[in-house]
Amino acid sequence: MSEAVMIKKLPTFKLPCLLISLMLLTGFSEDQFVPIEALREEIRHLSQRVARLEEENQGLGNMLRDLDDGELYLVVDTESNRLTMRQGNAVLMTAIVGTGSRQFLKEERGRIWYFESPLGSFTVLGRERNPVWIRPDWSYVEENMPIPPRNDPDRFVRDVLGKYAILLGNGYKIHGTKWKNLLGTHFTHGCVSLDDEDLEVVHTSVKNGTRVYIY
Amino acid sequence: MFVLSLFLMGADNGDQNGKEWGKLLEQRKQLNVRIKKLMREQDYLVFQKTMYESDSKYLIINIPAKTGQLKYKNRALKDVHFKLVSGRTSRLTPGALTLTEKIEGPRKRNLLVFGQSLVLQDKYAPATRSESGIPHLSLSRKDFLSMYYAVESGAKAFILF
Repeated sequence: MSEAVMIKKLPTFKLPCLLISLMLLTGFSEDQFVPIEALREEIRHLSQRVARLEEENQGLGNMLRDLDDGELYLVVDTESNRLTMRQGNAVLMTAIVGTGSRQFLKEERGRIWYFESPLGSFTVLGRERNPVWIRPDWSYVEENMPIPPRNDPDRFVRDVLGKYAILLGNGYKIHGTKWKNLLGTHFTHGCVSLDDEDLEVVHTSVKNGTRVYIY
Repeated sequence: MFVLSLFLMGADNGDQNGKEWGKLLEQRKQLNVRIKKLMREQDYLVFQKTMYESDSKYLIINIPAKTGQLKYKNRALKDVHFKLVSGRTSRLTPGALTLTEKIEGPRKRNLLVFGQSLVLQDKYAPATRSESGIPHLSLSRKDFLSMYYAVESGAKAFILF
């Protein structure tokens, strides 16, 4: 093809080129080819989808709200030795506590104890005023003392657990302590220890059935 | 004259169609934005529902608020604040993540690794993976260790934006 012919043919491409440039410059999009009826139909579908999603989300939200009972509960963080009293997302109080020492104790007869606070979800099973500590065998082993019989009066000790004890089951309790300078450390035999003021608040706030989460 | 009036009527009609068309396009855009938002909300609601029924602890990480929450079922166990120490949070997308690795570092400089998406660390831990752009969020040492020992590998986290 000669150059002259090519130059003659060029103008035939000018119009589409000009149109495309114009469309690009004016923000052309493929939407401009969508027939108005199809657009109306698409919007109808999208609106229906929005309504469906809103309904589903409302249902899910209600379901979750129903599970949020608004009950007060306790959380014990055994790593940082903190007790938090919460209600929903609100923190009602935070207290420094003592938790299990994470130490082993071995008896000559072969018994071994590991003093760790129990982890998991618990329920307050009962509350005691002026609790009496019934010394377990490990307490005698720890002090190199002979172990007395089960109901020996020496086992019943007053004034070591503070004014109150909150029972969590399996012998574990939240109670007071004589060793207040050790609060904030791992020093107990598994129970959670608090100072007197915090213990008073916790004792008066919880009831049987209150959940306690220890992690 | 007749042809001219027909042309003008057509032009007027075309203008009206154009206006409606523009309105419909805008409406479609808004509906798509709303759907996206509702779907994100639903993801979070479904995540919560799943975790309420599960027996594992999990994390909620609110990126704009720079706060996190350790939760068990419907109970909040711990609230924390974090800082971005390296990487980019723009790499994160709202949604669920899985804890893939708990790395025990020297002197308890541990890391919680959520795949290629996120790393949680205490503020003294070295940001070993920062080169890759993975966001590293640092917590106070005490808060981080509480979280570190509270969650197991496979634990879930949900990123909120």
